[in-house]
Amino acid sequence: MSTTVIPSNRSVLTALLRADFITQWRNRKSVILILLIPVIILISWKGLVDKLGGAFVLSNCIAIGLNAIGLMGYSNTIARDRDKGIFQRLRVAPLTAWSIMVSRLTVQLAMILLVTTAVFVAGIYADNIKLSATGYALGFAMAFVGGAVYLALGQAIVGLIKNPETVNAVTRLVYFIFIMVGMFAELGALPPNITSVVKWSPYGTVKHILSTGMQPATWNQHSTIALLATIAYTIFFAAVGIKWFRWSTK
Amino acid sequence: MTNPPSADTIVLQVDGLHVSYGEFHAVSNVSFDVRAGEIFGLLGPNGAGKTSTLSAVEGLLRPQSGKIVVAGYDVQKNPLHARANLGVQLQATNFQPELSVAEILQLYAGIHGVSLTREKLQNILASIKLEDAAKKRFGQLSGGQQQRVSLIIAMIHNPQLVLLDEPTTGLDPQSRRQLWERMESLRDNNHGILLTTHSMEEAEAVCDRIAIIDHGKIIAIDTPQVLIDKHHDNPEVISVSRKGKITLEDVFIGLTGRTVRS
Repeated sequence: MSTTVIPSNRSVLTALLRADFITQWRNRKSVILILLIPVIILISWKGLVDKLGGAFVLSNCIAIGLNAIGLMGYSNTIARDRDKGIFQRLRVAPLTAWSIMVSRLTVQLAMILLVTTAVFVAGIYADNIKLSATGYALGFAMAFVGGAVYLALGQAIVGLIKNPETVNAVTRLVYFIFIMVGMFAELGALPPNITSVVKWSPYGTVKHILSTGMQPATWNQHSTIALLATIAYTIFFAAVGIKWFRWSTK
Repeated sequence: MTNPPSADTIVLQVDGLHVSYGEFHAVSNVSFDVRAGEIFGLLGPNGAGKTSTLSAVEGLLRPQSGKIVVAGYDVQKNPLHARANLGVQLQATNFQPELSVAEILQLYAGIHGVSLTREKLQNILASIKLEDAAKKRFGQLSGGQQQRVSLIIAMIHNPQLVLLDEPTTGLDPQSRRQLWERMESLRDNNHGILLTTHSMEEAEAVCDRIAIIDHGKIIAIDTPQVLIDKHHDNPEVISVSRKGKITLEDVFIGLTGRTVRS
């Protein structure tokens, strides 16, 4: 047996991250779209800031951005690359499956950071919404926790559905339902029983932890339960997504 | 990255391979080996078990039983070591369409732990006559150019064993001949090559040995000429001969039957 040197994790991850970030950069039109939607909503809701509060508006806009990242961006990219055999080509190289996913998820974490920053900056300049330093720090932390639930949901969808066109259609539908039902419920436009369901849905819990995270003084027992529910959703969707995920559509 | 082994060293050993999908036995008790400095052809009709065999060698599926050893490493027990000695060219183009040729080369060099300087990258591209294609997207290349890039990526870490899955499908005669020459050059440098193809002309032209697989079982294994000599009196083979002279294609159809497989 000859002596074979296995490439280091660092070398593998550097190469994967470089390629995945370039891919994301070349898809910058969709990145801009993901950034623009929450920022435009934020600017258009300027009149609601005094009535509903800055944290309420910011949290809704960030939740919309996080939804788009997990459901529209991540899941569709995974579904496409799986269908084209890109994962299979990578998997015949001497690297572990987790390194492929770590690289993909790192790009999405960068997207979460970008969207959250864009909303905070737009909030300052467009709506004059300013938070405390702790509010911003917790806002970012809750954005990562909230982003994880939508990434896990996206993973569950690509785990359960193989066809990329169907994945695209289902993620759009789920995105639309979350955004429309979530926003109407938040604005009190839905019956109380539906509002209660929405409150404890992945949209409602994420929106709540974002909102109270940005105003640490308002953090209460409901916030802690919402945080635990968000983590539980993430674990559940990730478990489904990992268990049923196949690297190839064939 | 490893050094090429000496001639006749076994670089791939497949022993008693069984692959099943539920009740369906795709591969049954398949055994063969590929030596350094050898082009070994795996031929079979559609659904014969070629892809399942290749997938098991690549470590993409876990066989029900049997042993696969690449360059001395068991594919199940030491998958990363086995894959580090394996270069693969798959049938379809499997690279991110957003990446340029240079970026794809850098990606695969990186994941194989190969340092790729700008100069080395240019030399690699020059070696496949694609000096000006570094910034082109893979999808912008012609079929022949894509195959050249795929092959150079499969070889970027200088593996002992190269798997080529129908590499000349869709290529014009010039590109096909050029690819044959590259395969022969790899063989001359003591790389072992496992080639699947539907072209009997190709198998006869470049393969040192051939295994014919059908219904998941190897039904013949030898050099192309010995297979022709061994079966030239077979009535089934004679009945399908079209040119009077028995060819490898006649032997293949004689042994696997005329029925078109799905």
